[in-house]
This record gives sequence, C-alpha cells and structure tokens, in this order.
Amino acid sequence: MLFNSIDFAVFLPTVFLLYWLVKDQNLKLQNFLIVAASYLFYGWWDWRFLSLILFSTIVDYLVGLGLLIQNNKTKRKILLWTSILVNLGFLAFFKYYNFFLDNFITAFSFFGKEIKASSLNIILPVGISFYTFQTLSYSIDVYKRKLEPTKDFLAFSAFVSFFPQLVAGPIERAKNLLPQFYVKRTFTYQLFSEGVKLMIVGFFMKLVVADRAAIYVNAVYNNVDNHAGLSFMAATILFAFQIYGDFAGYSLIAIGTARLFGFKLMTNFNRPYFATSVGDFWKRWHISLSTWFRDYLYIPLGGNQVIYPRWLINIFITFLVSGFWHGANWTFIIWGSLNGIYLIIEAVLFKSNNKKIINVLLTFILICFSWIFFRANNVNDALYIVKSIIINPGKLYIPSDNDVIAPVFAVMAISILLGTEIKKEYFNKSFSLAENKYPLVRWGFYSCILFLILYMGVFNSSQFIYFQF
Amino acid sequence: MLISKSIKFLLVFILIEISLGFIAKKIFFSQTTGKYARLTYSIQNNSSEVLIMGSSHANRHFVSNILEKELNMTCYNSGVQGQGLIFQTALLKMILKRHEPKVVILNLDEDWLYDSEEFNERLADLHPYYWDFRKELDPILSLSSEFITFKLLFSSYQTNSTLVHALKYFFVPQMDYKGFRPLNQKMEKSFPPINEPLISKEKNEESKIINKNFALMFEEFINDAKLHNVKLIFTVSPQLLQFDRMNVNSSLTLMKIIAEKNRIPIFDFSEDRTFIKKYHLFNDPGHLNNDGAIIFTKLLANKLQEEVDLIK
Repeated sequence: MLFNSIDFAVFLPTVFLLYWLVKDQNLKLQNFLIVAASYLFYGWWDWRFLSLILFSTIVDYLVGLGLLIQNNKTKRKILLWTSILVNLGFLAFFKYYNFFLDNFITAFSFFGKEIKASSLNIILPVGISFYTFQTLSYSIDVYKRKLEPTKDFLAFSAFVSFFPQLVAGPIERAKNLLPQFYVKRTFTYQLFSEGVKLMIVGFFMKLVVADRAAIYVNAVYNNVDNHAGLSFMAATILFAFQIYGDFAGYSLIAIGTARLFGFKLMTNFNRPYFATSVGDFWKRWHISLSTWFRDYLYIPLGGNQVIYPRWLINIFITFLVSGFWHGANWTFIIWGSLNGIYLIIEAVLFKSNNKKIINVLLTFILICFSWIFFRANNVNDALYIVKSIIINPGKLYIPSDNDVIAPVFAVMAISILLGTEIKKEYFNKSFSLAENKYPLVRWGFYSCILFLILYMGVFNSSQFIYFQF
Repeated sequence: MLISKSIKFLLVFILIEISLGFIAKKIFFSQTTGKYARLTYSIQNNSSEVLIMGSSHANRHFVSNILEKELNMTCYNSGVQGQGLIFQTALLKMILKRHEPKVVILNLDEDWLYDSEEFNERLADLHPYYWDFRKELDPILSLSSEFITFKLLFSSYQTNSTLVHALKYFFVPQMDYKGFRPLNQKMEKSFPPINEPLISKEKNEESKIINKNFALMFEEFINDAKLHNVKLIFTVSPQLLQFDRMNVNSSLTLMKIIAEKNRIPIFDFSEDRTFIKKYHLFNDPGHLNNDGAIIFTKLLANKLQEEVDLIK
C-alpha cells in the first residue's frame, strides 16, 4: 500500500480509530492491531511475501531467546550466524541472485568459457533491505549484550513489521523502537498535531517536489541519446531534489504516521544539501542507514582505531557495501565507491571542516556528480552523460506546451523547500510560520501547504524510489 | 481538545481552499488564448456549424477558414494536443449539452484504441468543468480515478497544474485562427536518421493491447452524435512515411470496422501520395506545417462537399 494512494487514505484513519478506541488502551490489543494492520499494509502489494517477514520475525525472536539463555561463546556465535544467514540469505536470493549469475556468465565468457545458466524470474519483495537490516541489528545488539532480548513475541512482531517504516525506513534500532511497544501509549493532541504536520510536509516533498521533478528527470535520463550536456546538468540537479523529496518526504510521512500511534521514530534527514563536506552530508542524509553501516560494518572493521591506510580502506569498504545495498547494479556500486573516494580525499587532504557557503556549493556539486551514477539506467548511460556534460553542452531541453509545467512547478516547489530550509539552517530563531505562537498563523501555513499539494501535486500514485531497495 | 482544534483547523483550511481556489478558477476561466481558452470557448461559446475534433493532428492540420469558405458553413477547430478518444467523447457530450453542430469531423489517431495510461491521466484537462457537467463527466472520469467527486470538491484539485499555462499565455498570447494553430517549420530530408530502423514502429504495434473501454467510448461518441442528429465524418491525417499499418495496427483497423458498421464516412489520407515523403509539407514527422495543412484541408473540403451537401 502506498502512502500516496486512496487505499492508504482509507486504511490510516480506520486503523487510527480502532487503535485508540481499544478498551483501556490495552497494550496487547494495540500491539496486535499494529501487527494485523502492518501485515495487511504489506500484503496489499503481494501477500505471498508476508511469509518472509513472518519467518524472519520467528528466526530473530528465537535467536534472541537463545542468546538470552546461552553463555557458551561458540553456541552464541552459531545463533548469531543463523540470524545473519537467514536475513542476508533472503536479501542475497531476492536481490542479488540474478546480478551475480549474469556477472559470472559475463566474466567466464570474457575468458572464452561459455556457461549456460538461466536467470530466475524473481520479484523483489518491497522493502526487503529495510526490514532485514532492522531485525539483523536486533540480533547483533543482543549478541553483543547491548540489548536485553524480548520475550514478548507480539511486541517483537510489531517492531519488525511496524507499517509506517516497514518498507523504506527509517531503519530503526531495537534499542529505540522496541521498548516503545512495552509501554502504555497515551493519546495526546500534541502528538497528533505533530504527526499530521510532519505528514503534510512529507506529502508536499513527495507529490510536489519529487514527482514534479521526476517528469523532467525521466524525460532526459530515459532518452539519453536525444539530449546534451546542459539538459543532463539540469536533470541531475532536479534529480538531486527528486530523490531528496521522495525519500525525505517518505521518511516524514512515516515518522508522522508513527506519531499518530504514539511512537517516536528517529530523524532520517537533516537538510542534507546544506552540508559543508561529503562527510557532513552523510551525517545528514539517510541517517538511519549511515549510522547502521557505521555501527555494524565500519566499527567492526576497526573504524578509525586502526593504522592509517586500513582506516581509509574501512571507509571505502563501508561505502562500497552501502552502494551495493541500494541495488544489484554496477551503477550503485560506482555511486557508493565514488562517495567512499570523496571521503578518503577529504580525510587525507582536508583536516578541518570549513563552514563556508562555497563548501556547501562544492559538496552539492560532488553529490550531484555521484547522483548521475545513481540515476542512470546503466553504466554506459552514466558515462555518456558525464562525457556530454564535459564536452557537449548543447541546448537545454525545454519541454513543449503541457510538459513545461513539470519543471516549472518543480523549480517553484524546490524554491519553497530551500527557502524554509535556509531559514531553519541559518536563521532558526527568527520569525516562524510553522511554529508560530498563534494557532491561526500555524493553521494558515499548513492549510496553504495543503492547497499547494492539491494545486501543484502529481496524483498518479507514483512509487517511492526507495521501495525498490 | 482534539475535535475542537481539528474542526478549527479544518475551517481555516476550507476558508483558504475556497479563497485561493476561487482565485485559481478565476485565473483559469479568464484565459483568452491557449489550450484551455480554446477548450472553454468550444464548450461555452462556440456555435459553429462544423466542428473539428481530435488531437494535435486535428488542431494543426484543419484550417478552419478554408473549410468555412469551401463548405460555406461556419467552422471551429476544437482539436486538443495529446488527447485521446476518451477525452473526445467527454468533450462531445459537454458541447452537445448546449449546442448541436451540423457536422463533426473527428480526426482519428491510429493509436487511440491502444491501452494507455496517458490518455486517462490527460483527462485532468476536464477537471475545471466538472461541476458544470457532472452528469456527463462522472461516468468517464470515474473509469480512471477513484472517488473523483470527493477529489473535485477542492477547487485547487480542479485547477491542478493550470497556473503555468495561464501565466504563459497571459505574457505570450498563443495565436489561433478559429482554433487552428499553424506550424511554420519545414522538415529537412535527413529524417529518419540513416541508422534508425523504420520497422521498429510496426514491431511496437504488435505488443499493444486494445483497451475495451476506449473502444466502447468510440461507439458512445458515435451514438451521442446520432442522438443529436449530428453528421459525423472521420478522417485520418496524412503521414510523412508510409507504413504497412493496416496489417499490424489493430487499433485503426477496429476503428474503421466500427465506422463502417455505423456507416460513418472515413477519409484516410495516411497513404496519400500528395504527402508521402514530401518533407517540405511537414513541420515534424507527425505534423503538417501550414503549407501542408492548407493543401490537406483543400483536398478534404473537396471530398467533404458531397457529404455536406446532403445535410444542407
């Protein structure tokens, strides 16, 4: 079920009412309702994949219980590896099987060996990368004795399948989210109001910023032969805001929805395009994933507590894996590697992080360059785009008649978004419409945002980009 | 507290929605040139005897003034760029509610019956007129959009995306001649590029599926015209390159079968030698330029003469 669909518009208020109308706000009943609603939400795409979530839930729950009673080091390791193999096994099969097979065939044919193997027609379960990472973090934390395993299967099921963040994060840590399922939630106007406001802003970012930009971006990136450098530059800048609007918008809707049910999820984006270095960017972009890789890959590799060259290798490995996590395609691997290289260069050459505006611009340009590989349909297209930008600027593609609306609205929406972010980034204590002390001003502000969504938004129930990961 | 504050917020939103929505609608209906201005004119004011309908091919190929002169009947070109059959059926219903032209010429695009989400999405052009033509539009818009009545309660949703058009044509008015908009470039002979296989078009056709709703809409278009005693004539526009379409294009074939069944005359210029490979008569591979449009309209007028004489 998509957040930007009529189905969700019916689903959410129904679940919300049932949830808060539960007698005495009984915790068990509310958790049961969350699990049922989450399975319905996920099964809306394809009910067959519910078995994956259920299996993953049972395995990690039992691994947690096993780790609770087991003190033998070897047996504890076996339990941890069971969880890792099951979760990463699902991921490897559904997401990477065909990629590895195709590349093996290509590699062998390069050396003159013909291998006959046919790729499988595998459908990628929506959001598999997100919930497998979330459950994996639980097992690892329990193994490291950083977290007390839960005996409450219902609460654990709700933690794994919690519908607001099930398919595209934020990838929550058990330490933050799981305890919220143990305590009685009380409905407050404050929580409701915060949730609705976050959702309104999230929908603006998705339906107006991202979906408007997408129309121009797709027209250019899906027809690379017909475009030149200037169009690629424009499309890449718009893509930077498309993916931000799409993913940060989703995250805000997820966080807002969770608030409606009395839960607090972690912040996933913090005005990333105001970062003054690539390192700073990764502290502001997809924070839940960046910190996941930091805690469960970079630090176990030794982090920066190793010899200098090894530290740089650790940075590179972390970003390489992060790129691969995004998708089984060389474009994502190059994208991840590029970011790793940026960070290594920063670590070697720039010791202090200067907060100048020029650094914001330089960082934005570097990030945009890496987005070319992220968005391009294949590596050849990406290289063609880079080459065109450098040696063949050509004419800027301006869509005719009807289609010109998309980039114009995208630019208008991006200006509104950037305006509010500049205010928050640099003038946080000045006058605010969104947090004004007068309710009428606040309501007027959010009503205007709602009006803009209806007036400028795209209403074709488009997918969120990160659902494919 | 929740209910009272929510009601207050809702009231503020409704107030803002109504006020800004009112302004948005005012802007929309105050347009004097451009696509929406022509559409509004076709629906609200047009009283011509001959009405041209269709997509950009209709809009760019049928010179209203020539038809008026040759047929001795008033004429308006209501062709709308990018629109398919489902839109034409809705538009005809709206026009017939107020005015019954003597003749409607519908220029058929060969892909009109093929399933395409785009044709449904582009129906949004009709949203601003919804509340004046609810009975006509409801069954058509409901085919592609759920809860359409609820969504169109909001003026902002009715006028979604129209502001850029209004501003664009306010600052740079778009000229038209009784709806007809000429194209003025001449193609160079380098089309198609040497390496581009022409066959690709035919191959693509084979994988396309006929949308049953579109076919039903085509029949409904014919029935509506009959019901209001409107003489219906179908045309197919000239093409730059000749394709062996009829063997593979089931969309056009089906439209021709339906036309024949209903005894609607159809004038197919797609293989007319006057236009095939005549690059100087084309603005782009899909559209005639003004010179081409004049020649085409005169040729068509000659053929129409007999049909039109019958109803005079």
